[in-house]
Amino acid sequence: MKRIVLWSLATLVIAGGIFGMVKLGAKNPADQTGSLIDLTSSSDWSKGNKEAKIVLVEYSDFQCPACGAYYPLLKQLNQELGGEMQFVYRHFPLRQIHANAELAARAAEAAGRQGKFWEYHDLLFENQREWSEKSGAKNIFVRYAQSLDLDTGRFANDMDSQEAKEKVDKDYESGLKSAVDATPTFFLNGKKIQNPRSYDEFRNVIEEAIKNSS
Amino acid sequence: MTSLETLLKKRLKTVPKWLIWGFVILSFIGFLDATYLTAKHYLGIPINCSLFEGCEKVTSSQYATIFDIPVSLAGAGYYLLIFVLMIAYLDTKKERILYFISRLALLGFIASLWFLYLQLFVIKAICLYCMISFTTSTLLFILGLILLQLESKEIAVNKS
Repeated sequence: MKRIVLWSLATLVIAGGIFGMVKLGAKNPADQTGSLIDLTSSSDWSKGNKEAKIVLVEYSDFQCPACGAYYPLLKQLNQELGGEMQFVYRHFPLRQIHANAELAARAAEAAGRQGKFWEYHDLLFENQREWSEKSGAKNIFVRYAQSLDLDTGRFANDMDSQEAKEKVDKDYESGLKSAVDATPTFFLNGKKIQNPRSYDEFRNVIEEAIKNSS
Repeated sequence: MTSLETLLKKRLKTVPKWLIWGFVILSFIGFLDATYLTAKHYLGIPINCSLFEGCEKVTSSQYATIFDIPVSLAGAGYYLLIFVLMIAYLDTKKERILYFISRLALLGFIASLWFLYLQLFVIKAICLYCMISFTTSTLLFILGLILLQLESKEIAVNKS
């Protein structure tokens, strides 16, 4: 009798453990229906059609490899659907795990002050491997600025300015308010979407939204 | 006969309870952890970076699978085997099982060292759940060592 109890108990515990872990593993953070608290504002960096009804807001971290993986997808989306939608980039540097993320975000802000936010954004993602783990990333960032013909003196100052820090913080705070806890996180018309697994999936999600809005 | 019985009883007494429960609990924690990683592997959602789980750099690396089988599944099997063997021990009280587990724990520890090396020096990223597994397998190994030491002491006592 004791043996039966022991073995049934053990089987029950194992089965329960498997069931619980599978449930937990299948849970997708993006499944939690999230909404964007702060809709687009004039201080946002945006591209595409600024009058479009469809707005994709991305919370991103320049040092995050996953964000780097989504970068070409977004670029292609912009080329193909840029006339029908607007793209917004917001900073969500995961400072605890990415040492250069904050500085990269401020560098992009500094480039933005000279009108080249998106060009700089592209450079950062395209060369992510080069600067991600470097201790002297600031010099690399100044070099990128130079390659875009920016005023490097001004760029270096702006990168360390209070305004750049505040802008990055503001984006980060707005992300926290909208329950962003990972990057990239996408909001399509204010609703959090599950990260698409491929370009086609991404395109379908957006085309669906365009269809529904017209 | 009676002397053999008393000797056996003595041997049983030498395996402290906390050691037994240590094996049971640690192997179960390791099993849950590895099952979670396996479930994530098969049902998981695409890559992202999060504060809590890092960038999935480790679990999405080429080292996370061997012949398309996630190493976490092998880990889950390993911990499950120890857990079931412990139940078998609780059932039959055969000490042979315990000594077999101790030797198994050494294998698990060596595997864990290899994965730690991969994380630190090859992939250069840490995965939280892999570190939990490293901890449980190391503790199991230590418990195994304590057990083997008890065994060798007994042999010495029995011989003298």
